[in-house]
Amino acid sequence: MLVPLAFLVAGLALRFLAFRAALPGVPAADFAQALCRWDCEWYVRIAEEGYDPFPVPARVAGGNWAFFPLFPGLVGLARLILPFPTMVTATLVSLAVSYAAAVAAWPLLAGNRRAYALYAAFLLAGPFSVYFTTFMTEAMFVLLTIGVFLALRQSNYLLAGVLAALLSATRIVGVFIVFAIVIAMFLEHRRRGGTVAGFIPELLKRPFWLLAIVVSPLGAFVYMAYLDWQLGDALAFQHVQRAWGRVVGNPAVYLWHSLTSFPGAGFLPSTPQQQGLAAVFGLVMTGVLAWKRRLPEAVFSLFCIVIPLSAGTISFVRFMAGLAPVCLMAVELLAARSWLFALALLVLLAGGYFGTFGWLTGYLSLV
Amino acid sequence: MSEAKRFSREDLWAYAAVALVVAIELVVLWRALNPGAGGEYRAYYIDKTTTCLPQPMTGEYKIGRIVSFRPDGVEAALELKPCGWEGPAGDGTHSVGETSRLRFAVDPDAPPLDLVLELVAVDLPGPALQRVRVSANGEGLGEISVPRDPARRVSLPIPAAALAGRTVVDIALDFPDAVRAYPGAPDTRKRAIKLLAAGLVPAER
Repeated sequence: MLVPLAFLVAGLALRFLAFRAALPGVPAADFAQALCRWDCEWYVRIAEEGYDPFPVPARVAGGNWAFFPLFPGLVGLARLILPFPTMVTATLVSLAVSYAAAVAAWPLLAGNRRAYALYAAFLLAGPFSVYFTTFMTEAMFVLLTIGVFLALRQSNYLLAGVLAALLSATRIVGVFIVFAIVIAMFLEHRRRGGTVAGFIPELLKRPFWLLAIVVSPLGAFVYMAYLDWQLGDALAFQHVQRAWGRVVGNPAVYLWHSLTSFPGAGFLPSTPQQQGLAAVFGLVMTGVLAWKRRLPEAVFSLFCIVIPLSAGTISFVRFMAGLAPVCLMAVELLAARSWLFALALLVLLAGGYFGTFGWLTGYLSLV
Repeated sequence: MSEAKRFSREDLWAYAAVALVVAIELVVLWRALNPGAGGEYRAYYIDKTTTCLPQPMTGEYKIGRIVSFRPDGVEAALELKPCGWEGPAGDGTHSVGETSRLRFAVDPDAPPLDLVLELVAVDLPGPALQRVRVSANGEGLGEISVPRDPARRVSLPIPAAALAGRTVVDIALDFPDAVRAYPGAPDTRKRAIKLLAAGLVPAER
């Protein structure tokens, strides 16, 4: 538990230094507020005011219904207890959740100390640590994902189902973890000598397994019920995408367009290329997970990549950073050699500074 | 062993919980597939029959004034744009989507009015002329063709039926020739014209 704590402190220092360098005129007390960019501002408004009615008070088509309620709701509750501004409260909650995620990852890494150190550094002090320590849903998504896979490893399916329900109330792709749960059940059934054809009858005889499955998407259904009550449209979180100009299309075509959007000048990949490369990284790691026969993680990761990819590659750097199985697989690979581990750790910590600097100066790939 | 003994009390509670959760989820799913939302919400978000979701603008306006839709008129134009506009940029307020709307608050006893529009077509690949179908409170005012250059200023009489007893005049501009700014752009991002100025003036009839 000390390793993540050390990286939590180091990460705070790195991000603060980047904040001073990027925004020298902004008072130090505004550190937490300054890190609130892009989607963060939506979450602040949800924590303070709740969800928009219709018509949206700001007189725009884009209501805040696309943002799932668990994490902003948690921060909203914390605001009632803590005497701080919303962003300070949200930062404290995010730090606590990210720290918990780093600690919880230990059993999943099966005693691999180097991989554990890398993952803790990645979450708390790495180039994308700003996602996990400002007001975004990534920290909670990572913690709950790790929680589900820990529960699956212990064959505690009901706990996995309950955590999955919370995951589905954090981001819509959380509902797809139900497939990981079913696959884990199927693999256990096979390990016990069960046949493929006998899986469904076996499932029906196990009411707690059934309960775990049907509870998994309940968080999303509760939010949909709320939207139906508020707006008369349970799918408002999806329908509001029209206001952002998002068009559902072929994920492969979107990926191809991103990867072939070459920069006008210079050698640095363009913003779409960087986001497309993030998706490719996720797909490759998903392939490695499948090759290592970690099918529940692989299937969940595949859904978490392909479904958002059907609306384009925007935010894919963030989505991949917040996809725990993919990043855990990557740190396991990087921990295979001591020199590679040392190099990766150095890059992660340097990235903690430059990633935050880029975030604060509007580096679009990080959106 | 009898069939009844195969399941413990906990198992039976679990089955009951499964049934309850499934029932809740099915109800929500049914509601999702049969949304109760209607009117403009449904047309824009669900049925996608319009690209313009009117916002509750006051239409605050003084008859006779021609309002600039360039940056110098941003304050005066703010309450006149319910939907379908982006900007202003330096060269006017850009239409987005297949329809744009304007709203002008008027006195119910207002005299006969003409709608004045100054507009220019967008400079994008596509038709050289953009057709614009104009209506006021649902009454058609006619169709105009707008070139890319120079800007065109038109004056369209508003029928008495569109004004009778009304406190607002809702102008709809439909763009049948609107073009997608880039391949795959959604209909809500289509481009047609740039509005430079608009207003209602007493009719010259």
